[in-house]
Amino acid sequence: MYLYFGLMLKAEVSKRQDARICIIGGGGTGAAMAYDLALRGFSVILLEQGELTSGTTGRHHGQLHSGARYALGDRAIARECMEESLVLRRIAPETIEYNGGVFVAINDEEADYANAFVNACQESGIPAREVQVAEARSWEPAINHKAKKTVWVPDGSFDAFRLPLAFFAAARQLGADIKPFCKVTEIEVKAGRAVAVNTQSLCGKKEEKICCDYIVSASGAWAGMVGKLAGLDVPISPAPGTMLAVQGRISDMVLSRLAPPGDGDILVPQRGLSIIGTTQSLADNPDCILPDKKEAAFLLERADELAPGFSKRPVHAVWAAARPLAGRTSGDGREISRDFAVLSHAEEGVAGMASLIGGKATVLRAMAEKAADLVCKELGLDAVCRTRDYVLPSWRSFYKAGSR
Amino acid sequence: MSQRLAFLLLIKNDCGKDGQADAWLEFTLEAEPEDTVLDMLERLRGEGRPVPAYRHSCHHGSCGSCGAVIDGVPALMCLTRAFSLAAPHARTIGGPLTEPAMEKDGRITVRLEPLAKMEVLEGIAVHPGRLFGDIPDGLSYLVCSDAKDKAELPPEPEASSVNMRTIQKGWRQRLEACIECGLCVAVCPIKIPFIGPYALAAINRERTKYPAHEKDMLAIADKPDGAWPCDRHLYCSMVCPQAVYPAKHIQLLKNSLLRNRKS
Ligand SMILES: Cc1cc2nc3c(=O)[nH]c(=O)nc-3n(C[C@H](O)[C@H](O)[C@H](O)COP(=O)(O)OP(=O)(O)OC[C@H]3O[C@@H](n4cnc5c(N)ncnc54)[C@H](O)[C@@H]3O)c2cc1C
Ligand code: SF4
Ligand code: FES
Repeated sequence: MYLYFGLMLKAEVSKRQDARICIIGGGGTGAAMAYDLALRGFSVILLEQGELTSGTTGRHHGQLHSGARYALGDRAIARECMEESLVLRRIAPETIEYNGGVFVAINDEEADYANAFVNACQESGIPAREVQVAEARSWEPAINHKAKKTVWVPDGSFDAFRLPLAFFAAARQLGADIKPFCKVTEIEVKAGRAVAVNTQSLCGKKEEKICCDYIVSASGAWAGMVGKLAGLDVPISPAPGTMLAVQGRISDMVLSRLAPPGDGDILVPQRGLSIIGTTQSLADNPDCILPDKKEAAFLLERADELAPGFSKRPVHAVWAAARPLAGRTSGDGREISRDFAVLSHAEEGVAGMASLIGGKATVLRAMAEKAADLVCKELGLDAVCRTRDYVLPSWRSFYKAGSR
Repeated sequence: MSQRLAFLLLIKNDCGKDGQADAWLEFTLEAEPEDTVLDMLERLRGEGRPVPAYRHSCHHGSCGSCGAVIDGVPALMCLTRAFSLAAPHARTIGGPLTEPAMEKDGRITVRLEPLAKMEVLEGIAVHPGRLFGDIPDGLSYLVCSDAKDKAELPPEPEASSVNMRTIQKGWRQRLEACIECGLCVAVCPIKIPFIGPYALAAINRERTKYPAHEKDMLAIADKPDGAWPCDRHLYCSMVCPQAVYPAKHIQLLKNSLLRNRKS
C-alpha cells in the first residue's frame, strides 16, 4: 500500500468456509455485506441490476450521522450511528469530510427543545453540547443570525459513492465476485430452501443460474420486489425524498434544524456544493424515482431559514431517491423507525434466505455484521466479524482491478 | 416556463467485447426544460422501454459515473439539461454553437455515445478502469477547505475523537474537486501511450499537499508516458465539469521536471 495508507493492516482471510453466499443488491449494505462475508472466509457473489450504488445509496444526502437527529425518539439507531461514524472515520478516512455539525434553533419552540435534545444525545453516547450562538456563527457565519440556540454535534459528511466502493474494493481483494449490471429475475426455492438465483446480464440479456448455500437480499427499497421472487412478503415501505444542491460551499459543518426530524431540515456540504434535504413521500415502486419539482421551491425556502441567502445561489441539481423504510405504514412513514432489521425467512417456509432492510448508509457496516452473524448461525458455522479492524483499500482499486 | 420539449434520443448500442455490431436505438420522449439527460433515461427505463445500459449513481455531479458523449461532446448526463440541448450548442470541444438538429416533426435529435478510450460494457456504460490504471491507489482525496475568515473549529471531545492522521490538526476538511469522471481522458487527442490528464492532475495535487511525496510523484510524471506526451490541446480543461484544469497541473509538473533537470 501506498503513502497515506502506509499504516494500514492488510485484511486477510484466516479460515475458508465451505459455503457460497449470494448477495442481491449492490448498494452500501450489499457492499459491506460482501466484505464482511468475504473476510469471514465465505465464497461471495454479489449481483446488482445496474451500476453499483445506482439504487438509493449513491444518491443520499451524504450526512455521516452522529445519530443526534434520532436521539430523541429513535434511540437504537442514534447509538448505532454514533458508534459507526467513529468506525467509518477510522476505516475509510479519505471518503469523509469530518468537520462536525451544528443544530440550530430558529424560533422559541425549537429553543425549548434544546435541553431535551442535548440530554437525549448524551444518553445515546453522542457528545453534543450547547454552544453560544456567537461561537457557532464564528465557525460558520452562514448560520442564521436570528438563531436562538445552537448545539455542537459530531456530524460529518461523506462521499455516498466512494465510501461503499471502498467496501467493494476490499471485498474483491478477498476474492468476492462483484457483478454489476446483473439482475436477479428468479429465486429458486426447493423443498423449503432457497437454492439458486437466475440472473440476466448485459448484451442480449444473457441468462445465468447461480447456485448457492445462502441468499441475502440487500436490495433496500426493492426488498419487497426481491422477496416476491421467493414468494415472500417482506415488509418494506419505499419512501422517496427530494434533495437540492446549490453551487458554493456555504459551510464546512453540517447544519441541521434543532427540531424533531422533518422536511428540509439538513444542510450538508460536499466539495463545492451545499445540499439541502429532504422530503418524504411513499411509492410502490422505487425504480427510476425522479424528483418532484414542486418540492424544490419548498426546500430552498427551508434552507434560507437555516442559512439565509442559500436560495440566491445557482441551483446545481435536484434529484430524488427512495428510503428503504423497514416496516409498513398507513400514514406517511415517519413513524417507522430508521433502525434496520435482519429478517430470516426460515419461519415463512424459505430457509437459507434473509433480507437486510432499513437503516442508514452510515450504519452499513453494522448492518452487514448483524446479517453475517445470522448467516453464520443459520449455516451452523463459526466465524466472527472483523470489519472494524482494517483500514479499507482505496475505492480506486475497485475499477483498477481488471474489467467487469 | 415549463413548456415541454420533444426529443428523439439516439443511443449508441455497442455491445462491447461481445461484438455485436454498432446500432443506434431510437427513443421518442418529452421532457421539461429542467430535466437532465439522466432524468430522461430514467423515465424511459421506468416506463419499461429497452434502454441500453448506462452508469449513474449520485444524480448531482459528484460521483463521476454518468459521463457520456452527448451530441459529440463528453459531459455528465446528470448535469446536462433539456433546455441546453434545445438551444444552440457546440458539437465539438470548443466548437461553434450550432442549432439543435431537428426531425421534420420538430423533435430535437440528441445523440448519446459511450466515452471514448474506455471499455464499453453495453450501450453507454463503460468500465472506467483505464482512468485509475497508472496511479498509486493511495493518493489522498482530502484537502483543506478554505476557512477564509472563519474561526478555528472546536477541538473534538474525547467521546468522538478518532486517532487518525488527518491532513493537519484544526484544518477544515473537504474532498478533492476532481470527481474522477474521466471526461478529460476521453477527450484527450494524444494517441501515444499517455497516463492522461486525470492521473497527472491527481499526482500534482498530491505533491502540492504532501511535499514529502514530491519525488515519487515527479518520478511518475517523468516516465515516457507521464507528462511529456501532453501537447497542450487543453481539451481536458475545457471539458472538466469541476474546474480542475488538468492542463494546468500537467504544465506545473513539466515546469518542475525541467527545473530539476537544470539544477
Ligand atoms: C433522500 C434520502 C436521503 C438520505 N440521506 C442519508 C444520509 O444523509 N446519511 C445516511 O447515512 N443515510 C441517508 N439515507 C439513507 C440511505 O441512503 C439508505 O439507507 C441506504 O443507502 C440504503 O442502502 P441499501 O444498500 O440498503 O439500498 P440500495 O442502495 O437501494 O441498494 C439496493 C440495490 O439493490 C438493487 N436491486 C434491486 N432489485 C434487484 C434485483 N432484482 N437484482 C439485482 N439487484 C437488485 C438496486 O438496484 C439497488 O442498487 C438517505 C435516504 C434517502 C432516500
Ligand atoms: S480532472 Fe475534471 S474531467 Fe478529469 S476526471 Fe477530474 S473532474 Fe473529471
Ligand atoms: S450520476 Fe454522479 S456524476 Fe452524474
